[in-house]
Amino acid sequence: MSTAFISPLGSAEAPARGPFADAAAAAGAVTEVRDGWEVVTSFGDAAAERAACASSVGFADFSFLAKLELQAPAATLESAAGALELGSAERREGAWLCPVAPELRLELHPPAAAAARREQLEAAGVRTCDLTASLGAISVCGPRATETIARFSAIDTRPKSLPVSGFRPGSIARTPAYLLREDEERFLILFGAAYGAYFWETVATAAAGLGGRPVGLDALAAPSEVPHA
Amino acid sequence: MSRLPQREGQRIDRSRPLGFSFDGKPRQGFAGDTIASALYADGQRVFSRSFKYHRKRGEICGCGQCANSLVTVDGAPGVRACAEPLADGMAVEHQNAWPSLEFDLMAATDRFGSRLTPPGFYYKTFIKPRRLWPYYERVLRRAAGLGRLPRRQAERGWETEYRRRHCDVAVIGGGVAGLAAALRAAELGADVVLCDEDIEPGGLLLAEGAHEQARDLAARCEEAGVEILSRASALGYFDGLVAIWQGDTLHQVRADRHVAATGAIEQPLIFPGNDLPGVMLSGGALRLAALYAVSPGESVVVSTCERRGLENALLLHNLGVSVAAVADLRREGDEELCDSLRAAGIEVLRGTTAVGASGRGQLAKVTLAAVDARGRAQGHPREIVCDCLAVCGGAAPASSLLLQAGARAGYEPGANRFLPGEFPPGVNGAGAVIGNEDPASALLSGSLAGAESALALGFGGAEDRARAEDERGRLEAATASPSPCLAPPALATDGRSEKAFVDLDEDVTAKDVAYAAAEGYDSIELSKRYTTATMGPSQGRFSQLAAVRALAEDTGLTLGEVGLTTARPPWTPVPLGALAGRPFEPAKRSALHGRHREAGAVVKWAGDWRRAYDYGDPAAEALAVQDDAGLIDVSTLGKLIVRGPEAGELLDRLYPNRMSTLKPGRIRYGILTSEAGRITDDGTVCRLDEETFYVTTTSSGAAAVEQWFSWWQADWRLDASITDVTQGVAAMNLAGPRARQILAELTELDCSNEAFPYLDGQHGEVAGVPCLLLRIGFVGEVGYELHCPAPNARALWDAIAARGARPFGLEPQRILRLQKHHILVGQDTDSESTPYGAALGWAVKLDKEQDFIGRWALEAKAESEPPTALVGFVCPGGEVPSEGAAVVEAGVVTGQVTSSRRSPKLGQSIGLAMVPPAAARDGARIVISDRGQRIEATVQTAPFYDPEGEVLRS
Repeated sequence: MSTAFISPLGSAEAPARGPFADAAAAAGAVTEVRDGWEVVTSFGDAAAERAACASSVGFADFSFLAKLELQAPAATLESAAGALELGSAERREGAWLCPVAPELRLELHPPAAAAARREQLEAAGVRTCDLTASLGAISVCGPRATETIARFSAIDTRPKSLPVSGFRPGSIARTPAYLLREDEERFLILFGAAYGAYFWETVATAAAGLGGRPVGLDALAAPSEVPHA
Repeated sequence: MSRLPQREGQRIDRSRPLGFSFDGKPRQGFAGDTIASALYADGQRVFSRSFKYHRKRGEICGCGQCANSLVTVDGAPGVRACAEPLADGMAVEHQNAWPSLEFDLMAATDRFGSRLTPPGFYYKTFIKPRRLWPYYERVLRRAAGLGRLPRRQAERGWETEYRRRHCDVAVIGGGVAGLAAALRAAELGADVVLCDEDIEPGGLLLAEGAHEQARDLAARCEEAGVEILSRASALGYFDGLVAIWQGDTLHQVRADRHVAATGAIEQPLIFPGNDLPGVMLSGGALRLAALYAVSPGESVVVSTCERRGLENALLLHNLGVSVAAVADLRREGDEELCDSLRAAGIEVLRGTTAVGASGRGQLAKVTLAAVDARGRAQGHPREIVCDCLAVCGGAAPASSLLLQAGARAGYEPGANRFLPGEFPPGVNGAGAVIGNEDPASALLSGSLAGAESALALGFGGAEDRARAEDERGRLEAATASPSPCLAPPALATDGRSEKAFVDLDEDVTAKDVAYAAAEGYDSIELSKRYTTATMGPSQGRFSQLAAVRALAEDTGLTLGEVGLTTARPPWTPVPLGALAGRPFEPAKRSALHGRHREAGAVVKWAGDWRRAYDYGDPAAEALAVQDDAGLIDVSTLGKLIVRGPEAGELLDRLYPNRMSTLKPGRIRYGILTSEAGRITDDGTVCRLDEETFYVTTTSSGAAAVEQWFSWWQADWRLDASITDVTQGVAAMNLAGPRARQILAELTELDCSNEAFPYLDGQHGEVAGVPCLLLRIGFVGEVGYELHCPAPNARALWDAIAARGARPFGLEPQRILRLQKHHILVGQDTDSESTPYGAALGWAVKLDKEQDFIGRWALEAKAESEPPTALVGFVCPGGEVPSEGAAVVEAGVVTGQVTSSRRSPKLGQSIGLAMVPPAAARDGARIVISDRGQRIEATVQTAPFYDPEGEVLRS
């Protein structure tokens, strides 16, 4: 017996579908399968999507990111996964290491890298649980990203409170969630996957009011900057 | 349409005329006008009818603070005409008058009804006979009011955006003090938000000829990065959060420091006829003239008790308004100003005040006189013909937000004001609200408040501190010898019987306050509630001070002793839609939700989930499960991974039965109880391996159970971890006689009963999807709960459905589980239910050595018979009693029906009920009382279907 049944396993024929899949499809998403996941590459107009990210706000589904929960005594976590300061995530080898509590962390990895990382951590005495399917992820980026988030969350996103790499648990759209500032104008929201349709509607409405729109992965950045795409 | 000559600082654009209608008649104004300024320029003097007496009311404040100019615009009631910018094509209508604004039948209440409607009349009259009150109420509500909400209007669908804004300094008020505070704080490096109610910041400067200074300050603020919110009202201060309403946005501003620069509100004078159209505040008259080029009257008289009235009289004159005379209650002081007025040909009457006003529906004449200490006219009153009386009865600091923040206000006789002091940490006041009213002092105090705020947050350096110290000294020097002012009498009168209004919003007169005081309502809070003074749309802006003065006069107390009423939000009336904001309704949906929709499911709320209730025919769906195969989405079940060497012990401490003895691959049912032994949740536990358990909970209980586990684990510190995977793991139950066959077609697992028996859990791929398969049977048939990653759930569902398993929803599931006596926690149990009373005593193992939550209570409960027992029942007559219907015995309620359904398979009406223990035996007759119907039922303690569980285990 194992907990393999909680880890998504997709294929080209039957890809894993994130919590936004239905909503994105209804919005005209163009998809392809990458690493077993059905990902949105665009919504049919990559230029307009890039423009939205540059001048207003774009939001994209990143639910395909592998999300590992790490639980262990603080000292074990530190020796196995490095020291982290609460409130501040760290970018390491294409992954985000996010401290939730001294004895609890989240790690965000490219889908293909998760299994090896789990094995490594387990071997070091860290209990891991694959929360890839449990948490949806949405990237909100652009100069109006903070304004967009301010429409549905009271988390303080000013740079002095949430600098780049800042990581906060908190109420987002009235649900328990996490907010990670990946860049000056780029945020990643992790939320309960069952809220996918609700989150899509919430973020889309807020973004639309500010001239924003859903965007595909192609619009966000060069592939090298989107390690999982 | 007549306007004053064009001047700098006016808001109107005479090259852009705008057409609109008032009560259906075409009118014209200019771009930049307010509705009120355009109407006033067009000769309109009556804007509304009063709340209670339906008296004609005209423009007063010219800035959206009073209730006199409330109109309905394009169907939306309660719009303040003197603050609402005019727009082309607007349809403006009067409110609260019938059949017309000019001739209102309800005005009869003014002439004949006053004696019937004294303060608190609704406590005394219209109360007998009691049954008629609904009719009285309807008439009274129609007679009074502030406009009518149409049944259909755009605002009903209004979705206000909430916008959270964090900043270093929030400045409330965009007058000279607010602008100076914002500018200084921003220049020191602070992130500043400033809000102002007007269409542009500048406050009094805009109307007093200093518009260039105002606009320069505003421009410098913007350059310094200040976010300026115009037409934005600060509604209240809530523990550091200031809610600001701006059109379709509600800003929730959370600042580290707050500066209240909310100004002071000019006060009316109280004298008979003080509500006649044409009587207005001197500041209101000035705004009309200065900003909109509208003369407030052909002949204006000013009555004041302090310097501001004199200044405004001179400004009006300079703008081309004909000022006939100025009455100054003070006998001396501000001689230079008086000389300037005289030099301009304006008569100045020192030591006099307005003691009466008269006219037929509009001001025609004012009476001025000297008054004694009680306000009675002395000597020879002077009557002056005029069509506008501009009054200045002092000013009341707009201190509501400061007081809400925790500041305290005290009466300063020298200033004739209740001034706020003792500010809470992080809050500053600036400008007129703290008594610094002249522009120079206001500028200085604003700058100082901005500096103090920014310095307190670590911005700036030694030089800035020194400058702030210098400003503090200069401010103290500048305010050391204030202009003299004199408190006006509570009521100045020449003895006529005409009403003198303390509160124009609510039609409360000085006589009403005296009446209430005589009845014993002699504290300001009681008087307020009894008379309703200060409770109207103006929130006491123009009536609080007058009400305090009136009560002081009636009780013999000083103003300080009477004090102010409690300041409460909202400071500005706000539509409820703006407070409600855009609806957020967090709904959980399973990964299969789209499929349910496509299949025509009726979707309903189940806890915080949206679930498929049925697919159109619940009875047929239930039969399909029992006759063939059915498939239900049970992803909503709570699911926890409990892992670690001491995971078993953790569960043993939480459940009343043993979980640590489970063998890997086996499943056990468990109930959770509180410390008091009451059932809180139930579910199954499957041991995945030596150190890993998979716990399921009820759909609505997942979060609570996770918290419950974590809460105890935080105390026990066992070597075990808990992870909630509810939302990431989809689950579906394939059940029915053909379930095994379907499953076997999709997996390489041996699905035979021998290899995969009841209460076994196995891991395997089904249709290529990694699954945990649990052989359990909530619906009473051979069944497999397939748990898989939510992102793969659709593929699995599709594969099973393609093999003929019929989707079934929550309703057929409830029928099926009821046939098996399987309980639903929360439906078949209540907050007092113990396992013993819910026929679940078998799930409590008091003989286990491990202590567990609720053990002490359950041991005690085990020694006595529970007050009720949960049993099944059949209604031979075929009735299906309502869930919650009472079980009665000799007319006494002894229990209740918890679940009931018609079973299509059994052809019977069945249910579960809590009954007295004596009735908990097979064949016992019980009587159910259901909304007047008497239903006889027979108790059945064993499940209605497959009582021995042979089908389930087959």
